[in-house]
Amino acid sequence: MDNLIVRYISRIFLPFVQLYGLYVILHGHLSPGGGFSGGAILGAGMVLYALSFNLPEGEKNFSPDASTILESGGTLLYAGIGLFSLLLGANFLANKAAGYPLGTPGNLFSSGAIPVITLGVGMKVASTVITFFYRLIAREGGQNGAAD
Amino acid sequence: MIVKHAPALLVAIPLVAAYLLPLFARRLKHLVVPAALFALLLCSAGSLSLLFQVMHTGLIIYHFGNWPPPVGIEFVVDRLAVFTVLTLSLVGFVVLVYSIDDLRHELREDVRGWYYTLFLTLLASLYGMAMTNDIFNLFVFIEISAIASCGLISIKEDRACIEAAFKYLLLSALGSGCILLAIALLYMVTGHLNMTYLAQAMLQAAELYPYNLLASLALLVVGLGIKAALFPLHVWLPDAHAAAPSPSSAVLSGLVIKIYAVAMIRLLFQVYPAAFLARTPVAEIILWLSTLAILLGSIFAMVQEDLKRMLAYSSVAQIGYVFLGVALGSENALTGGILHIFNHAVMKALLFLAAGAFIYATGTRKIRDLSGIGQTMPAAGVAFAIGALSMVGIPLTNGFVSKWYLALGALDAGRPFFTAIVLVSSLLNGIYFLPILINAFFRKPSGNAAAPRALPTPMTAAIVVLAAAVIVFGFFPGRMAGIVVLAVHRLLGVWQ
Amino acid sequence: MVPLTEMLYRLHQNSFYFFAIILFIIGFHTMLTHSNLIKKIIGMNIMDTAVFLFFVATGYVRGGRAPVLVPGEERAFINPLPSALILTGIVVAVSVTAYALSLIIKLYQHYGTVDAEEIMRIRRGEEQ
Repeated sequence: MDNLIVRYISRIFLPFVQLYGLYVILHGHLSPGGGFSGGAILGAGMVLYALSFNLPEGEKNFSPDASTILESGGTLLYAGIGLFSLLLGANFLANKAAGYPLGTPGNLFSSGAIPVITLGVGMKVASTVITFFYRLIAREGGQNGAAD
Repeated sequence: MIVKHAPALLVAIPLVAAYLLPLFARRLKHLVVPAALFALLLCSAGSLSLLFQVMHTGLIIYHFGNWPPPVGIEFVVDRLAVFTVLTLSLVGFVVLVYSIDDLRHELREDVRGWYYTLFLTLLASLYGMAMTNDIFNLFVFIEISAIASCGLISIKEDRACIEAAFKYLLLSALGSGCILLAIALLYMVTGHLNMTYLAQAMLQAAELYPYNLLASLALLVVGLGIKAALFPLHVWLPDAHAAAPSPSSAVLSGLVIKIYAVAMIRLLFQVYPAAFLARTPVAEIILWLSTLAILLGSIFAMVQEDLKRMLAYSSVAQIGYVFLGVALGSENALTGGILHIFNHAVMKALLFLAAGAFIYATGTRKIRDLSGIGQTMPAAGVAFAIGALSMVGIPLTNGFVSKWYLALGALDAGRPFFTAIVLVSSLLNGIYFLPILINAFFRKPSGNAAAPRALPTPMTAAIVVLAAAVIVFGFFPGRMAGIVVLAVHRLLGVWQ
Repeated sequence: MVPLTEMLYRLHQNSFYFFAIILFIIGFHTMLTHSNLIKKIIGMNIMDTAVFLFFVATGYVRGGRAPVLVPGEERAFINPLPSALILTGIVVAVSVTAYALSLIIKLYQHYGTVDAEEIMRIRRGEEQ
């Protein structure tokens, strides 16, 4: 697809989409939303970019390698938090019982491990959405299907 | 201290390992397989420690995040769970060892790393399903295992596999929809998701909202029935289990369908009030469906020409035994049914792995092309024979033990007809397994079967270990049966 | 026999459940009867959505608001648990859909069609 208007508008929009995605992820413990919704927004932003420019351009910005690392990393962050509470003497995925600082309700830095977990989920979902997109659109032998 | 967390670690370790493998696959390729093996070794150690703990205390309760129920997710490890977890660890580990060499000829190199990711994810979800006491958590694990097991089939990208995986995925999604709706119906009238609380709340709900419970029961039986391949909802199974790579077939046939049966046992005996179930015909329905499964599964198996397809149909018949035991509901029958989960897991894994070895060595999967294979591949041939004899239920093999309990249980329940069914089905099993054995051992080797490729040592070792397990648990069934009998006492609510 | 007005009133009170079940049946029917694989996937999604609607409706409180605690304000909240659970359900549905679509792409590469009956015909033709 090669359309100046689409390109231009999506280039203007993209930072805001990404910022909003990050906002939703980081405020997951305070307001509706969270890792999945925010991650989906982030991922959709990248999909928009790849669609309005072309796929190689999109892949340059966010390589499949990076998405593998983010995907594994997000889950490992989640599991790592869970396992870390074992070290602190509580059960798997414990929050308050493991002694994480809870902060004041309503503040950005509050509710212990939950923002970190949400961040992990957000990373995972964003990279998964992008991977879904690339895998669905890719053809055998590494050719991209958008051309035809 | 770490032992205290074994229930959570059994799920966490394979999951963490599953997500570490793609990272290893990028830079440290040679570490992928050892890492997967190490993870499963840790899981086996964990399940053994669970066994000792449960033998000691009888019940382990684990609260995730220190949240007590009904708020938090709870794992309850009773003897049924320990029994299932042990089965998973044993068969899972052996199949993984086997798969290292077998996959070299079945999968492309770039997807082989993903196979272990899927395999470990699947095992994590199965461990979870065996131990969880939260019905929604159960649903999540069911979904993870559905996607992972479809992945294990479709990873071999030939036509038959993709088609089988699609069929499986679609039916499985249908089943999940039914299960989720059933959970919604239960949550609506009880307000609980924890099975213990659910069971208490249901005593009252059964009087106030009988239709909700009835609808949820029907949906659960259908949903779990599709996933456990209960006849006539088994249509996806022969394609899926026959097309998949051999290690996948072993783990899908041996483990995955059984775990859904375990989930069904839990729901029927520990969640739904017995008085309510007695008013519904659910036991009769499962009874007759499993009878049909036993008979028709064997009859379909007889006419197959493809070795793995025959084994797949035989799985349809064998899952019938498990449900037969559940539906008869007497102590012995239930013991037989649950024991058959382990016994069938071992012998079906053995048969699929041996069949995979034949395919690996000769490149053919047609039964009639395998004449004389027992002479040219003695180890795999004898192991296959042991598995087949155990399937038939020859004494001193483990297949005999569970059938014995089932036959006794049918008599206890006052339904001698079903004892006859168990005997007839042994005969039917003999009809389709014995010709293969005769063909394999007493005919002259011909074609590819005359000069098979040499089998790598890990594959032979895996097959031999399973064959030994069939014999050992046939000679000394006491230990396993002891665990199962106690599990059954808890299910039936009889305490000595 | 319940009078008609009473029946309509009850239906109105439980309209979420009623429409969820209708949607469920539509999805179920689409999934089983259409031979186009893409339509099967659409049917599956309709069915899943129906279940989600049903589940979320069990937690709905008339006049309730989103369960975000604001200090000093007393109002009815909807039950957040079903919504949270359904979020999980949606994630699962998304993954299953993506996976199924990728399988359809593979099938299309092998057979050149996305129609289940057509695929069966091609296979039967090859076997003979």
